[in-house]
Formats: sequence, structure tokens, C-alpha cells
Amino acid sequence: MALQELKFSFKPEKNYISFAPEWFHSGVVGSGDMEVLMEHKKQDGKVTVKVVTPVTGFDQVWEKVLAKFVAETKIGNLHMEINDNNATPFIVHMRLKQALFEAKGDVES
Amino acid sequence: MGMTMLGKGRKAISMILDEGSFVEGKIDGYTLPDIGPGAVIGTGSLKGRKVTVIANDAMVRNPRFPVVYSGVIGMEEAYKMATTVYKMIELDKNKPQGEKRPLVLIVDTPGNGPGKVEELFGMNKATGAYQLSLAEARQHGHPIVAMIIGRAISGAFLCHGLQADHILSLSEEFQTMIHVMPLAGISRITKRDIESLTELSKTNPVFASGAGFFYKLGGLEELVHNVDDMKDTIDRHITEVYKCNAEGNSEKCGPWGRGILGKERGGRETRDEVIRMMYDEFAKVEAQYI
Amino acid sequence: MRKWEEMQERSFYESTARERAVNLVDKGTFTELLAPIDKKTSPHLPILGEAVSFDDGVVTGVGKIGNRPVFVISQEGRFIGGAVGEVHGAKMVATFRLAQQSYEKIKAKYPNDYESRVPAVVISFETGGVRLHEANAGLLAHAEVMEQIQHCRGKIPVIGLVGSKVGCFGGMGFVVVATDMVIMSDRGRIGLTGPEVIEEAMGKKEFDASDKSLIYRITGGKHKYIMRDAAYLVQDTIGAFHKQVAEALKMSYDEVQSHRCIGSLKLVEEQLELVKIAAENNFKDATDVWAYFGNKKSDQIQDQFYDEFIREAKRRPRR
Repeated sequence: MALQELKFSFKPEKNYISFAPEWFHSGVVGSGDMEVLMEHKKQDGKVTVKVVTPVTGFDQVWEKVLAKFVAETKIGNLHMEINDNNATPFIVHMRLKQALFEAKGDVES
Repeated sequence: MGMTMLGKGRKAISMILDEGSFVEGKIDGYTLPDIGPGAVIGTGSLKGRKVTVIANDAMVRNPRFPVVYSGVIGMEEAYKMATTVYKMIELDKNKPQGEKRPLVLIVDTPGNGPGKVEELFGMNKATGAYQLSLAEARQHGHPIVAMIIGRAISGAFLCHGLQADHILSLSEEFQTMIHVMPLAGISRITKRDIESLTELSKTNPVFASGAGFFYKLGGLEELVHNVDDMKDTIDRHITEVYKCNAEGNSEKCGPWGRGILGKERGGRETRDEVIRMMYDEFAKVEAQYI
Repeated sequence: MRKWEEMQERSFYESTARERAVNLVDKGTFTELLAPIDKKTSPHLPILGEAVSFDDGVVTGVGKIGNRPVFVISQEGRFIGGAVGEVHGAKMVATFRLAQQSYEKIKAKYPNDYESRVPAVVISFETGGVRLHEANAGLLAHAEVMEQIQHCRGKIPVIGLVGSKVGCFGGMGFVVVATDMVIMSDRGRIGLTGPEVIEEAMGKKEFDASDKSLIYRITGGKHKYIMRDAAYLVQDTIGAFHKQVAEALKMSYDEVQSHRCIGSLKLVEEQLELVKIAAENNFKDATDVWAYFGNKKSDQIQDQFYDEFIREAKRRPRR
């Protein structure tokens, strides 16, 4: 019944881009949605993630979506914390990319 | 089942006040409007001290507002209560702080008027008006002590009780009910079964129903285990509140004071952390704004 | 987030709490207090298996409008209906306290012209009231907020904004009308008791909780504007709300609080006259009340566009 806490760690891509801002927050924990807090963390390029979610049994799905995000964006030196409320893998992927895009100083179009 | 005071607001008045001292419908020479029969209001003496009393009468119906009965606080009741408080402030306007008359709230109410006309004309304004009047009376130094004898439910407790300096409650043996919603309702809304909620509520008083849990959260100052002790306990708390005010510690009483109490009793510790963190963060940027 | 200028054009109704908070004050002036980076989530939701949020459903902070510090509370309806729990409530209360502390400091620093510099509190309500998952803490927080509003009286203007998706219901329904000035959009809604509870109390024949249109008429911005529970009705953009708040801050304190609907004996007496009208007339719908106050085409009001409504609406006369 209690909330689940999942932890992941990803090795960086070869030419990783270090996450620059001290921190960036994006998203709202609505039903079927999530928020992410991205923090710069000097950790040899690694990306670490903590997911807090009411849903159980989707550890592998999370791992896959997060790995895809890290590979696609080549982001590194990043610690992310996600508060999830039943977001689908598609939403998760979209929200993360959106957040990173905004964090780099671009605005949502 | 032991004794209960549920629905016995009038009886409670006679038990709490000095015999035969209660004059209904009047605060000194002022006669209250003849509305809101569910609000029993008047002046009496408590161990020789002149007090204003506001109680619920659960046995009457409001002839004009069909959803207002059984102790429900409707628009007329709430505005009548607010009028009382403002009149009391006015009457004692020239008295020094330590001599402002106390107000005793006798609480047995299941809710505010849940009707269409209430929404149209503003039940929210009526209950809000009463709360503001109580908060203002406290600012002037009128000690307010609430005594829960039966039901203190959600919004009705917010309006008739939670703005008091000190809140006392008969303990659960007397079938007192203090909650926002019974556990069954919480179970429906949180989609958690009632058994596990009952189990959880043993260690976490934050959503559970009952006087004991409210005590742990600092939601009330003292539990009273014997009906015959109500009078003395209220009197003692009136004295304590006077003392607090005289020492310039009025913030140890009332809603903010119960926040402090919630921390002391270990029931609401995060509240205090949050407030302190916000103070610290503002201090760092203050120069930009002040 | 998009640029401040663009956000002024954005629908207030659709905006998140953070978008509203940042863009209700002057450009670039907002500092969030207890921001997501503090990670102060609810200690009570996890044991119930309920998702948590870094801001616990409310964005708090400080910005400026002109010369004046503006303390902002902005509730997020997407997170558990914007309902108030322990952290959420404590953030609201702390914001009020900071405004009062700032008032005293400003008064000491600018003894001769502090009046043009006094802080304000602006609350963008989007909430169903008490969060049932932590009901008792939420209830106690409501009482604290009411106390703080009273403590701001005579010093700090407190302005309530309602125009978001969830509306402003339950205990927050009386908190909003306890502010000095309520600003709404047509899409905003204010009420105390939920429709289902009213249906239960009155019977389906008298009140049908599934009749969305009826509920909207009773709780909506137009009704509250006619009743003067809302002082101003504005268009549904963040900019329109920002502009109206800025206008309010140009007013004297007395002028701001002349828009109060409760908070004194005189106002209680005025409201009691309304209750008398309610008791003497068998109003079935908001349209009956609108007609009573002189709106001839009361059945068309709900469909009227903003400009036409503002031009033609007859409001409850003040005493």
C-alpha cells in the first residue's frame, strides 16, 4: 500500500553533455502525470534517478524509458527525482525530454 | 453505553453555568434577533464570572431553512452567532484587557447548512463571518473556551470551536465525535479499505476520527473525563487564557498556539519545519523586497 | 515556461499554480519559497500509497507589483484537487506570517511613507478544501489561515483570486470570502458544500447534483459578481487578473476593504438582510435571484459574453 521508491543509475554516453543548471523543475503530479526535479551532480557523467510512485511492478519499464532518455539526450552529471502518479511510459519520456529542453533555457513552443 | 451529552446543548448550559443564571437571547441590555433557533445564545455566570454562551440546540428545526436541524449551523444561526460576538466586543470596548468577558462555546454540531439556497446566498459567508468575529474577539482579549459535548464535525467545527483560545472535549466514552469525515467516507475517497485505515490510524492520528487523535495533533487542549468536571475545567482554562494574554503570549492560544501544541505532542511536526524553512529562505532574499 | 509577456495572454483557467504565481506579479520579480528543490513532500501521503509532490500542491513565494512586495499563494488543482494537508497548510500560514513581519519592517524602515510600500497577500485559489488523506491536519490549517486573515486586517490587503479549473470549495470556500477583495473570472466557482451532499440533504427533486449547468449558475463567477461576493469579474487571462490586482494595490487600504462581504457587525447585518430575502422568497435557481435584483433577461445571463454582461448586469445594491 505504501508508496514505492525505485532507484536507477546509468553510465554516461561517451560524449555526454553535462547537465548545467543547478536545478530545474518541471511538471505537475496530476492523475496520469508526473513531475521531475533535475539537479546537476558531479558524478563522472552518471545519471542517477529516484522514482516515487504508487504503482508497483513496473521497475523494468521505468528502467527502459529512463535508459532511452539518457541514450537519446546524451545527458550526464544529472540526478533526477520523479514523483509519478500513474503516468504512461510515453508521458514519462515526453515529460523528461520537455523538462531537459526547458532546462537548457529554451522555452516550450 | 455510558452517559452522553449528544443533543443536550441546553442541559450542558445548565450544568456549566451557575444555577439559574442563564438569560437567553440577551447580552446585557441588547436583545439578539429572533432567528436561528438552533443557536442558543445568552449571558450567565460561571463560578461568579459573567460569560457569554453560544451553544447548539439539536432538538429544534429552523422553520425557514429546511436543511437546518439537529444542530446544523445554518446562515441565520451563524450570523446570529457573529452578531453576538461583535456586540460583546462593543459592550466591553472600554474595559481593560483583563476584564473583557469570556465567551464559552458549547459545541454539538454536525455541519453547516447543506442546501441550495445556502449556496445561492452564501453559507460560506455566514460561517466565515462567525470565524472572523471570534478571531477579532480574541484580539481584543476576550478569552474564548470551547467545550465539545457531542459532535464537532468538519466545517461546523471550524466555525464553532476551532477559533477558540482553548478547546476542551468530553472524552470518547461520551460518544463525542470529532472529524472531517468518518473513516468509512475517507475509505471511499482514498480507495483504501477500512480495515487497513483503522490499523494505520493507530499510529497516525492525522486522518483518524475522534477526540484522542485530535488531542495528539494539538487540536484540543484537554480531554474531560467526567461531565461534572466541565464547569471547573472551563473556569480553569478561562483563567489560563487571561494569564496568557496578560503575559503577552496570546499566540500560545488559538489556532497558532495549537500548531505549537501539535509539535509538542508529536502529532504535527512537519508544520513547524515548513514554517521555519520558509522564514529562513525569505531572510536570504528579503533585501530585494523590503 | 514561456515569457512573462506571453503568459499574460494565457488562460488563467488552464494555467498551473506555478505559472499563475510567477506571472501574477511583475516580470522577473517572483522568488518561490519552499520551492521543489526543498523536496518538502507530505509525510502522510506515502503510507496511504498516494503520490506526493515537491510543492504539496501549492506554490508560495514573494514578488513585486510596482513598489510593493506581494506574497503569493497559488494552489494546484491537478494535485489531489488542490486540497489542503499539513505541508500545504503550513506554507499558506507561513506566507501570511512573512507578510505581517515584512509589514512591521517596512513600517520601521520608512516611517513617513510606508503606506505606499506595504505588502499584500494574493491567493490564487484552486482547491476542494481539506485533504481527506490528512484530514485533521488540513482542518487545523484552515483555522490557522482564518486567524491569519484576521491578523492582517487594518494593515495588509488580502486579495483572493478564483478562476481555475477546480474552483474554490469546502473550507476554502469561506476562506476566500474572508479576504478583503475577491476577483473572479466567469469560469471561477465558489461554494461550500459539495453538490452530492446537497442532493443527499434535499433530495434529487430539489437539487440534482448531476445538473452541471445549475451548479455552475449557483457557484459561478457571474452569480458571485451579482451578489457582490466577488468585487470584480475579469476576463480569463493571467494578465487580466494581474492588472486587477495591480489596480487594487493603487487603492487606499480603506478602499480595498470596502469590498469585503464579511468581517464587521455592519457587514453581518447587511448579509442578514440578504438571508431575510432568501427566507421570504422561494428561489429555485440563480436566475430567480438575478431577476430579483433587477436583471430582466436573467435567463440569458449565463450565455452572455463578458463585455455585454459587465455592461448590463444589475448587482445586489449595497446598504
